[in-house]
Amino acid sequence: MSGQPVSNLAVDGARGGLLDREGALAKLMIAPAILYIVAMIGVPFVLAVLYSLSDATTGDPSLNFVGLRNFTAALEDPVFRLSLWNTVFFTLASQCIVVLLSRLLATALLKTFRGKWLVRFLIMLPWTAPISLGTIGWLWMLDSIFSPIDWVLRYVGLLGAPDALLGAGTNLYYLGIPGLAISSIILVDVWRILPLATVIQLAGLSSIPKDLLEAAEVDGASPWRRTLMITIPLTLPITSIAFLFGVVFTFTDLVVVYVLTRGGPVHMTQVLSSWTFFKGIEGGDLAQGAAISLFMFPVLAAVAILILRMARRTEVV
Amino acid sequence: MAKRNLLTRRDFIKAAGIGAVAMGAAPTIFLPRQAHGASKELKILVWSHFVPRFDKEWYDGYVQKWGEANGVKVTVDHINLAEIPSRTAAEVSAGQGHDLIEWIAPPSQFEPSVLDLGDVVKEAEKRYGKQHPLCRGSSYNPNTKKFYSFCPGWTIDPGCYRKSLWEKAGKGSGPETWEDLITYGGKIKKDQGIQLGIGLSQELDSNMAARGLLWSYDSSIQDKKENVVLNNPKTIEAVSYMARLFKESMVPEVFAWTAVSNNQALIAGRASYILNSISAYRSAQQQVPEIAKDIFFTPALKGPRGTRFNSEHVIYCYVVPKYSKNVDSAKKFLLDLVGNYDQAMHKSELYNSPAFFDAPIPSGDRGYPAVKGAKKLIDLHNAWFSDDPFALPGEEKGKLAVLKDAEKWSANLGYPGPANPAEGEVFATFVLPNMMANAARGMKAELAVEQAELLTKTIFAKWRKKGLVGGKS
Repeated sequence: MSGQPVSNLAVDGARGGLLDREGALAKLMIAPAILYIVAMIGVPFVLAVLYSLSDATTGDPSLNFVGLRNFTAALEDPVFRLSLWNTVFFTLASQCIVVLLSRLLATALLKTFRGKWLVRFLIMLPWTAPISLGTIGWLWMLDSIFSPIDWVLRYVGLLGAPDALLGAGTNLYYLGIPGLAISSIILVDVWRILPLATVIQLAGLSSIPKDLLEAAEVDGASPWRRTLMITIPLTLPITSIAFLFGVVFTFTDLVVVYVLTRGGPVHMTQVLSSWTFFKGIEGGDLAQGAAISLFMFPVLAAVAILILRMARRTEVV
Repeated sequence: MAKRNLLTRRDFIKAAGIGAVAMGAAPTIFLPRQAHGASKELKILVWSHFVPRFDKEWYDGYVQKWGEANGVKVTVDHINLAEIPSRTAAEVSAGQGHDLIEWIAPPSQFEPSVLDLGDVVKEAEKRYGKQHPLCRGSSYNPNTKKFYSFCPGWTIDPGCYRKSLWEKAGKGSGPETWEDLITYGGKIKKDQGIQLGIGLSQELDSNMAARGLLWSYDSSIQDKKENVVLNNPKTIEAVSYMARLFKESMVPEVFAWTAVSNNQALIAGRASYILNSISAYRSAQQQVPEIAKDIFFTPALKGPRGTRFNSEHVIYCYVVPKYSKNVDSAKKFLLDLVGNYDQAMHKSELYNSPAFFDAPIPSGDRGYPAVKGAKKLIDLHNAWFSDDPFALPGEEKGKLAVLKDAEKWSANLGYPGPANPAEGEVFATFVLPNMMANAARGMKAELAVEQAELLTKTIFAKWRKKGLVGGKS
């Protein structure tokens, strides 16, 4: 530093003026994020609230105040009630499965074995492909005529023969029978979220001090005991974060239902986001669509608060 | 301890406010303003046609030539049909976008944001003769007396059947009545293992099939004056019929179908009869010629009292949003499009039918072999359907002849009344296919109809308050 010319120092000092002021720098750095949030989330959210209190349509987005009429109309609509239930059910069912499977996968990926990179690659694959593309792939897998799953089942004699275990029909019609359609949606939701949850779980498992586990092993604790007393408690915050992230992604997802079933058969797989789209955009009732979408807000807000609290707790730990 | 430089609430609001203003003002500061009237422009948004050569070999080229001939710089954007409603909504909301937007369903909900094209219809009728009522009913609101869109053409929705299968069942000429689908379709399923495919799913074709069945059973969603009349004994009869049809002739695949599923089933040899446009047959001609040669057509099937109607399959409706600055060019384009609709018919491989049957055929080389004695579009319509210019070598002649009088057995969405936003929402939320599907899945027909009526009446009441739908109940 002693060798640096005085004039250069002066210039650096002038340049550094703004950079040295922590308050100004903080505002500068955070401004793009705030702008982004205001433009992309804040404005649409405020618009959604305004629309939901109006009689706006896609063809006439002017705002004439109608009070809570759209909310009461939504609550009286049996399709809305079914969509609400489906949204909650699909989310919880898929995320419980995701937490279990991701824990198993993460535990397996901690071990060293041949072809580990390939397994890791395959697990990450669903996360790297666009959701719509992956779901179109599933649409083909579950097709009522060309399903390759059905082809394999027929080939091994489980389907398509008079005494076949899964019936004499040529296909199982995964998306045409309510129980199978619901299971298919949950399956695809699991497939989509599993990679993220596995990576999060892997990070959690890697952070457990090895000496703690080794000490427990030396003390004679069985693998189950080590899991129950050490691994699960220590990774609970991060597991919860994986769960909550999955909840947010699944609760708000439109693509899986829209591509696979469009909410059918007979609205049995309709969810809030797809019903919002059909009512608000396709049906033209923007106000009703906005009201339906706002029913997602309390749940998402609660989950967001929980995630933030968990994250802070993890930070403290 | 270092002082923490946290943003106060006041700072946050200030920063956010400045940011929002800056973002809003940015385009006006940084983008050069377009000089109005400097040159004529026309931006058109259309769907990607089901017949790919229509866009590639005709429409895009036609538009450019039209632009050059009229001194207008024309841009055409093609989008998937499913994106049309959301794209239109976004452009209307933003107050900018395309000057002409083509819908393939009546865009009646956009009436407040689009121009009245009554003058275009008047001029078109003066030049080209009467517009077909089905096209008028899909673009005109009798309550506000406004043409919210302009309809130059439509697509026929016949029945498509596999002749060899029906011959074996003893009905080689194909079904004539809905009841035939149970009698012979059921027999084909039982003896030959091939089901028939009328969609009961949340998609376009299922919606059209449900309407066709309802009309053929002398019922409808609304009457001529837009009163809801869905819940009546004839609807219950139609819904009960659908439950029987499903049990005897179909399999649960129809609950999961997308708009292309019936095409795929027919081409794959897995359907004895479907309700669709001729696009399924055209695809089969390219992909599986032996199946195509076995596909024949029926007009709308008769109901128990002899009535027969099918829904139009596609209705081409152009809207001019109020924000458009190129209204004159847009209107001229529409009028000229009708004048050149012979090419639209031919280049779509007869998928498109004209709204103005009496429009004269322009003279000169029209890009297709001239048809002897043809002076009007109706002459081409009859000649081409009598002798399909796109038939495969060795294919039976006159297969499409039953489509010649399709305008007599085709109806618009909303028939016997006009298309309107309530009918549009009933369509978009799949009320009718679900009513049919509920009965097919075991619900009592009366209850299925009652539930559908409840949803329908709520939707009608809401749009009636907006002044866009007539009727009282």
